[in-house]
Amino acid sequence: MDQFLILALDASNFVLAIILVAMGLVIIFGLMNVINMAHGEFFLLGAYAVVMVDSAGGNFWLGLLLAPVFVGLVGLVLEEAVIRHVYHRFLDTILATWGLSIFIKQAVVLIFGPAAMTVGDPIDVTVEIAGAPYPVYRLFIMGVSLAVIAFTFWLFFRTRFGLTARGVIANRNMASCLGVNTRRLDRMTFAFGAALAGLAGAVMAPIMGIDPQMGMGFLVPAFLAILVGGAGLAGAMAGATVIGGADTVAANLWSPVVAQIVVFSMAIMAIRLFPRGIAGAWRKR
Amino acid sequence: MLTLEGVTAGYGGGRVLQGIDLEIAAGTVTALLGRNGMGKTTLMKTVMGLLRPDAGRVLFDGRDLAGRKPYEIANSGIGYVPQGREIFPDFTVAENLLMGVLGKPANRRDIPGGIFDSFPILKERLDQKAGTMSGGQQQQLAIARALAGRPRLLLLDEPSEGIQPSIVHEIAAAMRAVAERDGLTVLVVEQNVEMVFDMARDCAFIENGRVAERTDVAALRRDDAPLHRYLSV
Ligand SMILES: Nc1ncnc2c1ncn2[C@@H]1O[C@H](COP(=O)(O)OP(=O)(O)OP(=O)(O)O)[C@@H](O)[C@H]1O
Ligand SMILES: [Mg+2]
Repeated sequence: MDQFLILALDASNFVLAIILVAMGLVIIFGLMNVINMAHGEFFLLGAYAVVMVDSAGGNFWLGLLLAPVFVGLVGLVLEEAVIRHVYHRFLDTILATWGLSIFIKQAVVLIFGPAAMTVGDPIDVTVEIAGAPYPVYRLFIMGVSLAVIAFTFWLFFRTRFGLTARGVIANRNMASCLGVNTRRLDRMTFAFGAALAGLAGAVMAPIMGIDPQMGMGFLVPAFLAILVGGAGLAGAMAGATVIGGADTVAANLWSPVVAQIVVFSMAIMAIRLFPRGIAGAWRKR
Repeated sequence: MLTLEGVTAGYGGGRVLQGIDLEIAAGTVTALLGRNGMGKTTLMKTVMGLLRPDAGRVLFDGRDLAGRKPYEIANSGIGYVPQGREIFPDFTVAENLLMGVLGKPANRRDIPGGIFDSFPILKERLDQKAGTMSGGQQQQLAIARALAGRPRLLLLDEPSEGIQPSIVHEIAAAMRAVAERDGLTVLVVEQNVEMVFDMARDCAFIENGRVAERTDVAALRRDDAPLHRYLSV
């Protein structure tokens, strides 16, 4: 039972990070119909932003604050320079963002080298949970992620900005004919989605090895989460819980390889059972 | 107020509009009539910037709309009620109306109260999901949503389509009242001749991608030959 509690806490770190990545993907896909293959690299850039601030002599907390801003700005530039030219051609968006993903990865290898880097535990305090010491920083990850998830829901379901964005998602041409500046909205939401991934990367950085390939480890589960849960904010959360939870549990009980097999099998099963995602099946009832 | 000069437009290969010349004077209600598939909707989409004309010019208040995005055209003062209404079915009535103003400059993001005088049913239904309302109510919502943005020119595409006759009269009366009260210019596509008689003053008939004839409603009341010629009545 105690072991189970620790496992659940560890799993929820991973799950929350996937939720942040998947929510960004869902927002960008919903609004612009772009499947952003470079989203894992936004996560990556968030982690390296922390490394950069760290090596420039700043402390971790400053890095954590700057990372989403930096990655959001990168998103803004990429949207303007690349995405907006291809977003009405669906296949091209996949190729273009895939190209961006490779480009960013290579740039990171050139600047930081291919080896894994680490940043120390910024809190370095443990609390006793179920009779064993548990790092407080991992609890902090949960707090930050939950707050950002709540903020995202508030932004999209309780504000005028969110209403406008949902209107564009529902009917882009009509929203535009009502005067909604769809260009500005695309730019802002792409940057926001990127910033979410950047924040996830930054907040996760102290508990993992930071290397140029780390983005994939979050992009794939985020995609699976959306496939399983459905392409909405609630769907992304439900899917991430299933995928991230299964992955962590299976990796702990058996091995990471088995976990991959379990997760992919579950994803295929879920797609068969709920073709419109868990959230879609739920709404239909 | 709105001028189309030799506008040619279409989808991919086929040219639906083949040199439209049309002039809508400020403060008038003009009906655009023509058989199915003659390009009435295409004309409205071209004015809104949803379609690029291959040739010709669209001028609004003397300014060329070429290359402008739909939101820029909307914010220059043109309201659009598309065929099929295209309300946001999952949004409430209030949220639909908000969508009509959220893209406007900050000082015009409130919903003008006069809208509820014209369409009182909407005030009762503010919290209802738009998709659950009747066709006539949805049409009133689509018109109110466009009016909320305080346009100077309103484009109305087949407002009577799929709506009970009693509501059609109600909508026509409300539209005429709004046009008179606010000095609104209206271009309305309509197949329902009664509605045209109810609300319009001028008429333009479109056939084979061109404006074939222009008259006014008074003349049509005396002699309805154009109705037989350009519509299947
Ligand atoms: N999206 C589209 N792609 C290709 N062709 C189209 C498209 N929309 C309309 N058309 C064609 O263009 C022509 C004009 O269509 P349009 O909708 O403008 O006619 P309309 O006068 O509004 O007809 P209706 O009275 O039925 O609404 C038709 O032949 C139609 O088939
Ligand atoms: Mg039409």
